[in-house]
Amino acid sequence: MEVAESTAGGKKNPLDDCKILVVDDEADFLDTLIKRLRRRRVDVRSAASAQEALAVLESDPVDVVVLDVRMPQMDGIRLLEIIKQRHAPIEVIMLTGHASLEAAVKGMDLGAFDYLMKPVDLDELIYKMQDAYRKRLLQKGRMRHIASSREGT
Amino acid sequence: MPSFRDTLRRWFRRPVPPAAAQDVEALRLAFQARYHQFKLLLGANNKALEIMSEIQEALGGQAPFGMTFVRSRCTRLLATVFAIVRYLDELAPGAYSGLFDSFRQIEAEINRHVSASEPSWQGPLVLPLADVRPEHADLVGAKMANLADLAGRLGAPLPEGFVVTAAGFACFMAYSDLQTEINRRLQATDVRRLDHLYALSADLQQLIIRAEVPGELQAAVAAALDRLPAEGGRAPRLAVRSSALGEDAAGTSFAGQYRSQLNVAPEHLMQAYKEVVASKYGVAAMRYRLARGLRDEDVAMCVGCMPMIDAVAGGVIYTRNPLAPDRDEILIHSAWGLPKSVVDGGVTADLFVARRNPAPGLVAQQIGHKEIRFACHPDEGLSRLETDPADRGRPSLTLPQVNHLARLAAAAEADQGGPRDLEWALDHQGRIHLLQCRPLQLHPPAVDPSADLLPVTAPLLLRGGRTASPGAGAGPVFVLRRDADALAFPAGAVLVAAQALPRWASLLDRAAAVVTEQGSIAGHLASVAREFGVPALMGVEGAVAALTEAGTVTVDATATAVYGGRVASLLAAKPRAANPMAGSPVYETLRQASEYIVPLNLLDPDSPSFRPRNCRTLHDITRFCHEKAVHEMFSFGKHHHFPERSSKQLFTDIPMQWWVLDLDDGLARQSPGPYAQLEDVVSIPMLALWEGITAFPWEGPPPVDGRGLMSVMFQATANRALEPTVRSSMANRNYFMISRHYCSLQSRLGFHFCSVEALVGDRPGENYATFRFKGGAADADRRVQRVVFVGEILEDHGFSVSIREDALAARIEHEKPEEMRKALKILGYLIIHTRQLDMVMTCCDTVARYRHKIQDQIRQLVGEAPPPAA
Repeated sequence: MEVAESTAGGKKNPLDDCKILVVDDEADFLDTLIKRLRRRRVDVRSAASAQEALAVLESDPVDVVVLDVRMPQMDGIRLLEIIKQRHAPIEVIMLTGHASLEAAVKGMDLGAFDYLMKPVDLDELIYKMQDAYRKRLLQKGRMRHIASSREGT
Repeated sequence: MPSFRDTLRRWFRRPVPPAAAQDVEALRLAFQARYHQFKLLLGANNKALEIMSEIQEALGGQAPFGMTFVRSRCTRLLATVFAIVRYLDELAPGAYSGLFDSFRQIEAEINRHVSASEPSWQGPLVLPLADVRPEHADLVGAKMANLADLAGRLGAPLPEGFVVTAAGFACFMAYSDLQTEINRRLQATDVRRLDHLYALSADLQQLIIRAEVPGELQAAVAAALDRLPAEGGRAPRLAVRSSALGEDAAGTSFAGQYRSQLNVAPEHLMQAYKEVVASKYGVAAMRYRLARGLRDEDVAMCVGCMPMIDAVAGGVIYTRNPLAPDRDEILIHSAWGLPKSVVDGGVTADLFVARRNPAPGLVAQQIGHKEIRFACHPDEGLSRLETDPADRGRPSLTLPQVNHLARLAAAAEADQGGPRDLEWALDHQGRIHLLQCRPLQLHPPAVDPSADLLPVTAPLLLRGGRTASPGAGAGPVFVLRRDADALAFPAGAVLVAAQALPRWASLLDRAAAVVTEQGSIAGHLASVAREFGVPALMGVEGAVAALTEAGTVTVDATATAVYGGRVASLLAAKPRAANPMAGSPVYETLRQASEYIVPLNLLDPDSPSFRPRNCRTLHDITRFCHEKAVHEMFSFGKHHHFPERSSKQLFTDIPMQWWVLDLDDGLARQSPGPYAQLEDVVSIPMLALWEGITAFPWEGPPPVDGRGLMSVMFQATANRALEPTVRSSMANRNYFMISRHYCSLQSRLGFHFCSVEALVGDRPGENYATFRFKGGAADADRRVQRVVFVGEILEDHGFSVSIREDALAARIEHEKPEEMRKALKILGYLIIHTRQLDMVMTCCDTVARYRHKIQDQIRQLVGEAPPPAA
């Protein structure tokens, strides 16, 4: 049984305020994953194609994208490239149902935060999201500090 | 590049200038970001080590693995190690850029072994059997290539028909990305779990059966079909048979793992084709490939389509007795109707034993009780018919027919240059047709059956039947009645069934022995049992009723007997089965890739060869990155004049110097002064270690005998690094690097050096502690004995330990926080209390006394009860 993570006792959920986008053309997998993540109180939205994902990112900036490497029309590697060009600070976790050495290393080379393989353990995915989000927050904090230092001078 | 020790030395000599106040916030943020990178690197390092040990375990163990395992582990490992390299690059931009080149080279080598060998099949989509030559084996499968070649030369009627080739198969699988989808589903399933495998098998077969056949393949098949002569005014019915590539690879029989479709109407040929192709993913076939290390992608399913022969009798010939190959025996198994009842183990067939010399002819016969037979249905498919009672016990072949088959068998073996397994059919005109021809696997018993054995005193439950696979095996009886029973079949059980069905072959890698009521040595199940070295006894009347409630039994297949209980004297003689994976394509792929993964060449961080360009394996890269990451974390506070993140001396009454560097949230309060208070430490792993360090006062060095003292004096004279009066950056200083969940301790106590690194957090899967220990003042023998002594204690408490010369590395991982804390207390204790023990390591009594004392104090420390008195 899925149990929602408790935020009682004042302990902050590491994914509080984190917006996630999952991109996968496999409808069954996507639906199940979104439901399970929401049950864990993750703020998640979904896209069934690379084009849809890019549209979401334009209107609703997110912190972390989880995307499938293999998708028809535009594959995940190309989508990763575009995300890194247009929305560089977003962290991207690659997910694949088919192990490919080249795609894994290429994805990492293009700046993917990590590379996971299906079937993915939900806890492992959430930990990766937490780590990626933490990295993003730290970057945000430093950027803000640099900006405010400049304003002060 | 400066070594870690050099850096520490410089660090502690140089005074720290005060930091500019306005930069402190920026530095704090930078440090936090670096610490996060460092934590990610540690996590990735752990993951990489875990995958490497999985690979080593796979190569060293007996459990089968497939290419999905090889690819997924190599892919995950490469992605993880690349991440490690990148994390280090972010900690020290550009400082170790040579690592990227080393990584690329290693990646290319691994890729060469794992990815680049997928076969490509070229040639016509369909080839008439009349045009098939032996050199077409890679296009039509060995079975069809052999058959076409042999029948022509032995004067048997040449089979008409055609083969849908490997190129045809590739064309089908590429269409609508069928293979990609299959690969995806294969990866998503743990095929070692039988219930998952059953579900996957059903899924994949459905996927193939429902898939569309590309137009060009349909057209090629239709054209070949048109060329077949009509029979009785209508298009001939067809036998559609598998002829997979890799099916008859050396040492593998693949017997009966694939489907044949018999008496198929031409209009249903494409459907039958897809069903035969789908049988590539039958449970037995997938399990067989897994157990034998055959690569899924090497198996192209070629399919032979031949006019169906409605046989009066049929069966299988072994040109040698596989259990006694030296005897001059040809074994002819025969039953009424189509040969299916013989190969499927559905009847107890007639057995005719013929000799080769001086001329092929019958020497002995055992006539079976053939209750059923298979015949062609007038429209399509087969009918399973009751044999006329008068015919059941009557020989299914005449003497001239037996002799004719014997001559054919002897000629086939001579022609092919080795023993053969031939499937044949006798038609209504009295002609004999060869239907299949493949190499026969020989399995002479390892134990001489004529050797005198002690009489068995266990109760005899059954006697009879025929040895289908020699040897003896014992286990609880498990009776298989329905398909679903297979899911519950426990490892180590004795498989008992009425019929020797080929589908039970999927259970043979976990069965101790096989007993069936029907079937014979010539069936598919018998072939696979021999190949896997599983003792099998077939044709044992009343076996199911007699054994259902028997509990544990011992099957002596060689002597055709089943006993109650475990008969140790019989089991001792059982030949040990070899690892069926060793030498297989899958095994070799992983072994070759692992040469660029597992060996560790960079051992000594202080050596000048500890450089990125000397990283030759992924293990080297992880080792290098870990070492340098720790070094980079130490040096940050220093290089950036960031006193808040410089090390502070721990204020304690322990008479040693302990220094603490707070990485993130290891201290409850940050103060710019030179001291840290113990009560401010909130690092979970450091506190556990500290508890172990301070739990019991150290009683000082052990009393040393003359030899020990001389040894220490000699070492101290010969090795200036061990001279306490020599100024050394490391002597008597111990450094903790901490955060709330992390702790790294580098310690020099006395003459030995040790380090502990631990992560203890809420994610048990990521928790670990490592311990390295090296050196000492005594001679090499005693130093080695000490690490062995320490290693044994750690193994008793759940650590995995490796020892090389006087260096020990121990590791414990994936434990809950409470267990991790216990482990760290033990490490803290050992760091203090094994000091100078190397000097007493030659005196057994003293060693025993210390062992007892240490074990006793550790038990008190972790709150364990003492062991019961012997």
